[in-house]
Parts: sequence; C-alpha cells; structure tokens
Amino acid sequence: MNPFALSFVILGLGLIGWLTARARALRFDRGGAKRLHSLPAQHGWFVAMWTVLPPLLFLVVWSAVSPGLVRQTVLQSPTAAGLSDFAFERDSVLAQAREVAKNPYDTEADPLARQLAPVVRAARNRYAWTGTAAAALLAFAGAAFALSRIRPDFRARSKVERTLMMGLLVASLIAIFTTIGIFASLFWESTRFFSQVPITQFLFGTHWSPQVIDAKDPGASLGAVPLFWGTFFIGAVIAMLVAIPFGLMSAVYLTQYASATTRRWMKPTLEMLAGVPTVVYGYFAALTVAPAVRKLAVLLGDPFASSESALAAGLVMGVMIIPFVSSMADDSLAAVPTAMRDGSLAMGATTSETISRVLVPAALPGVVAGVLLAVSRAIGETMIVVMAASGAATITLNPLQSATTVTKQIVDLLTGEAEFDSPKTLAAFALGLTLFVITLLLNIVALRVVKKYREAYE
Amino acid sequence: MSKPAAPPSERRPTDWKGAAMQKRIRRRYAAERRFRVLGAGAVILSAAFLGFLLLTMVAQGWRGFTVTELALPIDLRADGLKIERRQLATPAADLALASAGLEDVVQNAAVRAFGPEGDGYLAPSAWLAVRTAVKRDPSLLERRATVYVPAATGFDQALAGEGDPAMEAGVARLQKLGAISRGFNWAFLRESDSTDPVAVGIWGALKGSLLTMAITFLIAFPVGVLSAIYLEEYAPKNRWTDLIEVSINNLAAVPSIIFGLLGLAVFLGTWQIGGHVYGPMLPRSAPLVGGVTLALMIMPVIVIASRNAIKGVPPSIRDAALGIGASPIQVVFHHVLPLAMPGILTGTIIGMARALGETAPLLLIGMRAFIVTAPGGFTDPSTVLPVQIFLWSDEVSRGFVEKTSAAILVLLAVLLAMNGLAIYLRNKFETRW
Repeated sequence: MNPFALSFVILGLGLIGWLTARARALRFDRGGAKRLHSLPAQHGWFVAMWTVLPPLLFLVVWSAVSPGLVRQTVLQSPTAAGLSDFAFERDSVLAQAREVAKNPYDTEADPLARQLAPVVRAARNRYAWTGTAAAALLAFAGAAFALSRIRPDFRARSKVERTLMMGLLVASLIAIFTTIGIFASLFWESTRFFSQVPITQFLFGTHWSPQVIDAKDPGASLGAVPLFWGTFFIGAVIAMLVAIPFGLMSAVYLTQYASATTRRWMKPTLEMLAGVPTVVYGYFAALTVAPAVRKLAVLLGDPFASSESALAAGLVMGVMIIPFVSSMADDSLAAVPTAMRDGSLAMGATTSETISRVLVPAALPGVVAGVLLAVSRAIGETMIVVMAASGAATITLNPLQSATTVTKQIVDLLTGEAEFDSPKTLAAFALGLTLFVITLLLNIVALRVVKKYREAYE
Repeated sequence: MSKPAAPPSERRPTDWKGAAMQKRIRRRYAAERRFRVLGAGAVILSAAFLGFLLLTMVAQGWRGFTVTELALPIDLRADGLKIERRQLATPAADLALASAGLEDVVQNAAVRAFGPEGDGYLAPSAWLAVRTAVKRDPSLLERRATVYVPAATGFDQALAGEGDPAMEAGVARLQKLGAISRGFNWAFLRESDSTDPVAVGIWGALKGSLLTMAITFLIAFPVGVLSAIYLEEYAPKNRWTDLIEVSINNLAAVPSIIFGLLGLAVFLGTWQIGGHVYGPMLPRSAPLVGGVTLALMIMPVIVIASRNAIKGVPPSIRDAALGIGASPIQVVFHHVLPLAMPGILTGTIIGMARALGETAPLLLIGMRAFIVTAPGGFTDPSTVLPVQIFLWSDEVSRGFVEKTSAAILVLLAVLLAMNGLAIYLRNKFETRW
C-alpha cells in the first residue's frame, strides 16, 4: 500500500483505539466505587498514541530504506545481469524501468528496461506489502498493549502529557537542526572548494568566468570581486535609491497625513507589492523594464547598450522592497512617543517640520535597522536578477551597463550540467556561504540597533 | 531652526503682520505643501507601479486564455488511416493512432481544405485534438466530419493583426470560409507543458504546486505551531531556549536561495552516501523534495506568527483555567490555542502564500523538469507554477509570451485569494481583549 494511504489507515485505527479506550474508561467510571485517575478522553489519547506513533515512525524509516531494498532485489535478479557496469548507465536504465513499471505503454524506453519493469514491479509490491503488514502489526500490538493497561487508577494523563511535551521540544529543536544543517552543508562544500582554490584568490580575485576554467589553476577565473560589486551595486545602491525615498515617504504620508480611509486602502495596496512573487517581478523586469531602460540608454547616446542592465534589475528590486522599508519605518515612527510630536506641533512647527526635525531623527535607529534588513533582503533576492540581470561579471559604475550578482551566479552554476565535484559547482556553495554570512551579519547589526533604540524610550 | 533671538533688551512682541514674517510663514507653508505632495506622490507612484504591472500582465495574458480554432473537415477512412475500432478501446489507443499516421492524415486534410499552406495554419499539436475527438467518438473513423483544431501561433497573431503578410492572407481566406472560431482555452487549464505554445497548459504545474504545498503544510504547520507553543508557554529561560530563538529569527531572514543550497547538499549527500539508492527511485523534481525544502523555509514565519498570536491571549485566561484545576497542557490545548488559532492561521496562510510563489530554491534542487503529464503522487516528477512561469519565460517562441503572462495571472489570482482569506480570517475572528 502507498505510504500516504497507509498513514490514513493508521490514523483511522488510532481513532478506533481512542473511541474504544474512552468507552472502556467511561464504563469504569459508572461504578462510582473507584474514581478514575484520568479523564476518559485521556485514556483515549493514551491508546491512540500507542496505536499511531510506532507504525508511523516505522513508516518513515521504512520509506527511507525500502527503495534501497527494491534496488538490491532488482539488481540481484537474473534479468539484471545484462545491466551495464557503469553506475550512470545502470541508473538510467533502472529509472526507465521504474517509469515503465508505472506506465507499460512507454514506447521509448530501453529494451532492457522493459524487461526489468516486471521485476521492479514485483519487488516494489513485495516490499510495499511487507511494510504494510509490519505497520499493521505494530499498530495492533501497540493498541493491545495500551488497552491492557487501562485501569481506573492508571495515570494516563501524565503519560500522554509527557509524550506531548517531548513532541513540543522536538518540534522546537528542528529550527536549530535546520540552522546547523545550513551552516554545515555550506561549510562542508565550501571547504572542499577552498581545498582546490585558495580562499584569498576567491575573495580578492577580480576575474570571474566560470565557463572557462583552467584545470591547473581554477582560481584564476573564480575571483568573486565582480560579483560582490554587482550585488552591492544592484541590491544596496540602485534598489535602495528607489526603496528608501519611496518607502520612507509612503510611511510618513500614511501615518502623518492620510485620512483613516486612505490609510485603510493604501496600506494593503502597498503590501500587495510585497506579496507579488519574485518570478513575476523578474518577468516584468526582463520583458518590460529592461527594453525601456535600453531605449533610454540608446537615447543617451550608447547604441550598444545592454538589454540586461543593472538599472532594470535594481529598479524593479527597489519597488519590491518599498513595502518592506515602509512597514519598518511605519513601526519605528509609531514608536516615537506622541508627546514629542505634540510638543513640536504646539511650539508652532508645521507638520513637515515636525516630521523631518523631530519624528524622523527620533525614529532614525529603527529606520536604519529597517534599511539594513531591506539591504539583506535585496542582496539575497534571486529571481529578479536571474531573469533580468546579465551573466557577464563586470565592475562598472554605469547603471546602464550589465552587472551580475552572487545569487544569479549560484543559479547559473548549479543549473548547468551536473558535475558535482568540479570547482565550478563547489564555487556555488562558497558563494552561498558568503551570502549567508553577510546577510547574517546585516541582520545581527540591525537587531542590535533596534534593541538599543527601544531601550531609549521605554 | 530659527534665526538667533534678538537681544533681551530689544525684546518686543512678534509682529505677525509684518511683511518679513508673512513671507516667512508663506515659505514655511509652501514647504509643508511640497512635503505633503511628495508623500502622496510616493504612495501614488508605488501603487501606480503595482497597477502598471497588473495591467501589463492582463494586456499580455488575456490572449493566453483564448484559443483560435479552425474547423477542419476530415475523412479518416478515405485518407487511409489504418486502424480498427476495437483498438481504440485499449489503453494503447494513443500509440496505435500515432503509428497509423494520424499526424500526416491531419496535415493532408488541412492542405486539402485550406490550400497548399494549410498545414502551416494548424498548430503542431492539432492532430492531438483530432486524436482526442476520435477516442471520444470512434464513429469518426467511418464518416466525414468537421473537427475543431487549434490554429498555429503565427496564425493567431495574424488574426490579431501582428503576423506576417502571407499568414494574414490565409486568415482572410479562412475568414471567408467561416472556418475560424475563437473561444475560451479550456486546454490551458487542463493540459501540462509542451513544446508547442498553443498546446501548453498549467494543470500539471498547478497540481505539482498543490502536492508540494500539501507536503509543506503537513510539515511546517504542526512543527511551527508546536515549537511556538513550547517557546511561548513552557520553555525555561536558559541558554538553550535563547539558542532556539536566535536560530528561528535568523532562519526567517536567510535568503530563500540558501534553503535551495541546503536541499541540494542534503539531496546530493544521500545521493552519494546512499550509493545512488534514491536516484532512480525518487526523482529530484518530486513534490516531496520540494515540499520539505519549502517547509523548512516557511517554518520560522509560522513560528513567529504563532508566537505573537499566543502572546496575544491574556494571562487571565491561563490563570482562570489553572485555577479550576486544568493541567498546564490542558490550559494550552483547551484554552490558549483555540483563542490564538485565528492569528496562527493568518500567519500560516501568509507563509504558505510565500511558499507558493517561491522559485529559487526549487530551481536549485532541480525542480525544473519538462513535465508533460500532471504528477499523480508525491514522488512523481513534477514542476510548480512559478517554476513553470520561469521556464516559459525562457522560451523564444512568441506564443509563450501570452502563456507566461496568463500563467502569472493564475498565480496572482491564487495568491490574492489566499491573502484575502488571511485578511478575512483576521478581521472576522480577531478578538480585542
């Protein structure tokens, strides 16, 4: 049986267990002579737990192990003797056999794959049924064990609650494991990269052309400075030149000037800008903004202007970041004590004078933190630059020329042919590690700034 | 801020009516108006950009939802299609029709009906429409009939007045014949990817997205809510708890592409350590793989939203429940959690919407396969809507532009519905304590 269907059956068994146990506990209750330690429903949960958890855990393990077992069985079958010794070819035939096992009318498959298909199907069926039987056995054994323990004085509640607490703890540890996983995987792959390419060459080299890598000196064409510059130029300069004025002014207008109705309608509208998927922005940048920017460049007297300019990607990215800056600025403006605003107005300052000389300076740490977070978001943004920025790594100050970014290069490096040990692929992980560290630092600095600032007014 | 005050000895009441003061006040008011206009301008321009983006997509995409069909008279028996009726009933019907030469027969019919360039008017996938029609009504094998088949991209553009002159002549001739009809492109909602822009559809990608989102939800929601409960209600204040909090806050700010790298490294790791165990058995583009990656990505969003919602439940609720003898677990699961649920669900929907629009991590883990049939389960190769949009946007054929924009409209509609639901839930169930 398919593991997903099986999980539903197990959950159904758990429900039956819950009902049975509760009914049993209710019957104890009716005598009145002996009071139950726990509520009937808690006995129900105890049995349901024993019915559901062991087979589900088993299923998780089993679905990780059984593909390997199926493969072993198929490889040991006499039909598999004709398989190539090369792992790559063998796997390709096996993959085709798997497809044919599902859809027998696939005509383009390798003849050997067609022969293997029944073997694959048989092996899969066998292991699927073994798994199903074992899971069912576990479910019934667990249920029987738990039901046998139900007595009026049985402390079902503390058992159930202890398990639940364990579950809560495990759930919250997953965040730590993810962080460790990210760091470990990036670090591990990067170490392998830096064993082939010196770290100084990667960090300070100014020539980036991963398409042509000299096998003797891979570092010569893997200098990441042009990428860092492009990322900084597009994400932290051009995008911020759009996002900071627009975001800040929108926040100021919506909090200080706009009527309640305007605010109620315009705030969600601006937030919709943040909800548009980045792939849509990327498509828009590549199809509409980039040609317009190119035309502008031609008008300005550059007939060979790139249609993948830094400006197009940066502009659209800036628009995407506007709501982010705006809501951070909104929060920090709202945190300025009203007394300061009222005081300034009472002294005869106009609203704009109050904003620019009292509110914004007071909210500045929060605004700065918001900008830092916005920069960290912009330099990690991928799809816009993948679709609208160029792949050519140049160091330029001209926004009408092409520039490339770290994220764009990661995608380009990893979506080519799959050679997992080449310096080219590993370079993507080194870039990823750099990106991770930089965004982490930006976030830590931003949070520090916010914390310091909060203490000033509370 | 202002000019230095006059020495105290000369101090007189300010002359508000004086010309200098009036001028100064006028200047300050003008500055005030300018500032206000600047603010309004920023809001309006931002909103205008959103409007411009949506309008561009609608202008380019609406044609993607329509299809131009040509009425093609066809007589399969006379054209020598050698196939028996009973073959159509078997699962191998597609194969039989293809090997009997249906494609050539359809092209010949087009040439006969529409002139020497007739087969160029039909989409390359036109014969598939005939195939479907024949399978639905086997009597077509024996009689003359008219089948509606999709027109080629070039023909469609000529109809809109943007094609080349030869094609426009063809359009004029067929219009005289009355063979052109336009209608809603149901195939766009029913089919999957294809090399022919006329035949593509989003159903495969949409179903892939649904399956991926199901996995994401099943992992991220329970884990996110449970860890929020633990951190907010039970966690002792110590170094470990701090570590968990710091890592959740950091994860929320990590760029999405990093999660793609994590997924790739883990996947490649099992690929290598497991001795190619999973390679043939679990494709890299399975919804299971993508769903787990996205779940890790949005889990921090759900944790943070849930913690805020739980924090919003007043302590008096907890005290009252504890006071009448509820255990700490009962307090949370019977009282706090139901009250916090609207907030938690709102956060979850927003997180899911983010996962639904996410492309980069899925590109990295390899979910960019060319999928012509909708996936049947969590371990089938599949693609998702944003990745499909990305793949189509890379196509050079002009017909893909309108399909890409149409797919974007579908994606935006789904996201808008999700966000609308989140706002509705928040407004309907929000409790003010």
